[in-house]
Amino acid sequence: MTGKRTMEKYLLTWIFVLLAGLGTLGAQVRPDQLVFPTLRFTPPDPQAFQVSFAGGSHGYLMEDHSLPMVDLVAVIPYGTVCDPKDKAGLAQLLQLSLVKGGTSKRDGTALEERLDFLGATLGLRIDARTSTLSLSVLSKDLAEGLEIFFDLLRHPAFRPESIAIAKGRMIEELKRANDAPKPVLEREYARLLYGDHPLAWQPDRKTVDSLTATDLQRTVTRYFVPQGIVFAGAGDFRKAELVRLINQGLAGWQGSRPAPLALTATFSPVSPGVYFIQKKINQGYVNMGHLGIREDDPDYYAVMVMNFILGGGSFTSRITTKVRSDEGLAYNTGSKFTTSWGFPGLFAGYVQTKSSTVGYAISLIRQEFERIRNEPVSDGEMTTAINYFLESFPEQFTTPARTMTQFATFDALGRPLDYFKNYAAGIGKVDKARVQQVARKYIDPEKLAILVVGDWEGCNQASGKYPHPLEDFGTVHHLELTDPMNP
Amino acid sequence: MKRSLPFSIPLFLLGTMAVTAAGNPAQRDIRPAVRRETLDNGMRILMLVKPGVPRVVSHIYYRVGSINERPGITGLAHLHEHMMFKGTRTMGVTDFAEDDALNRKIDALMDQVYRERFWKTQGDLARADQLEREAAELMKEEKRYIVKDHLWETLMRNGGTGLNASTGNEVTGYYVTLPANKVELQMALEADRMQNAYYREFYSEKDVVMEERRLSENSPGALFEEQVNSVFYAASPYSWDVIGWMDDLRKVTRADLAEFHQRYYVPNNAVAVYVGDFDPDKLLALARKHFGSIPKGADVEPIRTGEPAQGCEKRVDGRGPAPTSVTLMFHTPPAGAQDVAALDLLGEILSGETGRLYKYLVKGRDLTARANARNEAMMYAGSFQVTASPKTQKGVTPEQLEAALWEELDRVKQTDVGEDELTRVKNRTEAMITRRLQQPAFLASMLGRSEIARGWDALFRDLDEMKRVTAADVRRVAGKYLVRDNVTVAVYHREMDK
Repeated sequence: MTGKRTMEKYLLTWIFVLLAGLGTLGAQVRPDQLVFPTLRFTPPDPQAFQVSFAGGSHGYLMEDHSLPMVDLVAVIPYGTVCDPKDKAGLAQLLQLSLVKGGTSKRDGTALEERLDFLGATLGLRIDARTSTLSLSVLSKDLAEGLEIFFDLLRHPAFRPESIAIAKGRMIEELKRANDAPKPVLEREYARLLYGDHPLAWQPDRKTVDSLTATDLQRTVTRYFVPQGIVFAGAGDFRKAELVRLINQGLAGWQGSRPAPLALTATFSPVSPGVYFIQKKINQGYVNMGHLGIREDDPDYYAVMVMNFILGGGSFTSRITTKVRSDEGLAYNTGSKFTTSWGFPGLFAGYVQTKSSTVGYAISLIRQEFERIRNEPVSDGEMTTAINYFLESFPEQFTTPARTMTQFATFDALGRPLDYFKNYAAGIGKVDKARVQQVARKYIDPEKLAILVVGDWEGCNQASGKYPHPLEDFGTVHHLELTDPMNP
Repeated sequence: MKRSLPFSIPLFLLGTMAVTAAGNPAQRDIRPAVRRETLDNGMRILMLVKPGVPRVVSHIYYRVGSINERPGITGLAHLHEHMMFKGTRTMGVTDFAEDDALNRKIDALMDQVYRERFWKTQGDLARADQLEREAAELMKEEKRYIVKDHLWETLMRNGGTGLNASTGNEVTGYYVTLPANKVELQMALEADRMQNAYYREFYSEKDVVMEERRLSENSPGALFEEQVNSVFYAASPYSWDVIGWMDDLRKVTRADLAEFHQRYYVPNNAVAVYVGDFDPDKLLALARKHFGSIPKGADVEPIRTGEPAQGCEKRVDGRGPAPTSVTLMFHTPPAGAQDVAALDLLGEILSGETGRLYKYLVKGRDLTARANARNEAMMYAGSFQVTASPKTQKGVTPEQLEAALWEELDRVKQTDVGEDELTRVKNRTEAMITRRLQQPAFLASMLGRSEIARGWDALFRDLDEMKRVTAADVRRVAGKYLVRDNVTVAVYHREMDK
């Protein structure tokens, strides 16, 4: 199938069914009572965009001629969790030094200056389980851009100067790692719940000092192999031409697929209570919760809907309404389930509030944890949540580059690609009983680890208006704030 | 409802457009086919059809921000933006007459509280506390008439994403992206809050905004930056931050909001922008229906106070929990003025991983890990900023780094920049803007903000302007603006306090 036909098919699936007259009853109607014509949406089918390349790799391509640009992405099965503990920070060093180190035939400066001259961007981003090398180039420079892209993917050089600069930057970051309260909170929360696990390992001065060009080369040799990489491309190209250029870039590239990642999925339990980190600021930053769920869990949709009602749906959610809108206690508050493919995410109720109202805000969030477990949610809450998930779904496909990259990332992670087709049915099946069921299963108020970063004296005081010193929430553990420069 | 500009990077790009002088333009004209209509009441509607996913980015922008405030009401533009989500005379309330009666009583009590606390030097604070408790009782009573976050919930229930608002120095924007069949919902809600604003739950929302201010106070170095900015601007209303001073937030009243709304939230001060998959004729008819009948307001007078010539060097020295840094700030002309294009390019030549500061200070002399420069041309003023952190672990002092920064500035004053450098930054910035045009939400933001300031196509006129910049221009503007009598030097020393 040619790219052009694919695009047409993609567009023709938007079907508008107009119900005459209903939208025009006049300005007297209160805005929320307006009635709209129906709109049906069929998500794009990943299969329709899939392409095979030479050497056993494949990808997802979509033509889009609206602007003279091309985006090309390689999703590589390497992430921060692949690094050993004594080499924590290796992924970050790779991210910072890959382009700067140049390739065997171009030094880093020449490479960056050439990209700049072309108005192109090329960068590596590393997440927990995948890395993404992204090129954006004007379509007239596509061939040269791809030549550079594959040169870097296959022959990175890691020159000493680039490593020295990158390590210098990492040290600067370590020096400021404890400056702002929010990063401290998130880092220590992961450490508290995951414990001694790749998901929570952090670089420090020692591990950064130990990183070498050999470590980088070894990582690239192991993970940057054609069989493991999934490509994504979108923009102003002819599909057949791009396939030809990619095959040219891949020609003669050998390697064996890296063994799938084996991560321990058991974590030692954390004893419930308050974990306090002292920082002289005028607010307390709070995360309270425990481990959450995996994205491949059959309860995933029900948990998303439940969390939307609890504290994920911004102003329509219970925690935001109570803590922010009713009580004026916080600018940021709510709840979240961070989900990731292949390992459990974290669950947290969160709030940042002035020291004197920290305990009170925690008590309000805990009440909402109890309430969603003990009472069925209302019909109105269900309608809002379900409608939101269904009606906002097409947003994920707003730009062709985003759509193709999403398909490639799912593919690289081993996530089933029928997710998109099944999404509406999955959300549609969630009902009030399921919401309460998963609230009981995934929120346990008896097992909360309550992490607070703030000033102990201010945070532990309570008043008549704002009751609950922190000591009300169980044993208080004072945690030492580790300095990553001198661990 | 963010205070800070979520679009600060794109805004910067608005000022740094470039087109190549020699042979590397995009293959075709990237100017979007925008349709611009003006309603009888002066409200402007911008429409850009982008076929594809059946969604429409729907934004509305007002030409109002913190520069429209004055001492005493700093932070009001932003607080007002928050209050625009707290219901109207029609939305968010079950019985408006009862609700309004209660609010009148609450305001009368709080007026007494403010008088005791803020007007008098020796006010009766016990009485103020008593009156505030009475008001709090009435606020509890009011809850039975309130439909919580009605506007927000309505948009979410209908599949609204990217739901937010932001207040900047000059522009306030309200954002949502809706399914293509529901754009009318945004129009009905925006028209309603333009005409029927009510500011329900004012006193608790003030607390939220004060919490927001505390959040930024806890961001290392933020208080110092606020002070530096207030030193840099002696007279211009850019001197205070959008969040406002805490003292003003405490004392601001509902009456202040109503007055502010009446002056600035009028159709002749607004631009609505739609980008996505829609029929422009039908969309325009709906816009006329909802916005067309709103009465035109009085003309809004531009800002009176320009920034006077500095005529001396200013220095600010601070200490605290952020990294040690050196910043040089120079006054430059506002957007659209001569010299802006050359200054923008100069910022680009100094910045980034191929820029001069990186080449000479990061790689060459190892004085810093990162260094940046940029020109920011705003509606009424501009600034050129150079900033870097000394490598203190290598014993580099702020004084040494400052001297090195001046050396780099002197170098561009004395010798023309290379043609290759100039071409490279022109190509880079043009490609960057083309890249940004791929994002519908960015496109809407860019068009709306540009229209508010100087017409939506100002962006593309600036591009043409940049095409004409020469190495001699860059050298000339460096010599004209980057001088001692026009600088504020801010030096910050890291000092931790457990």
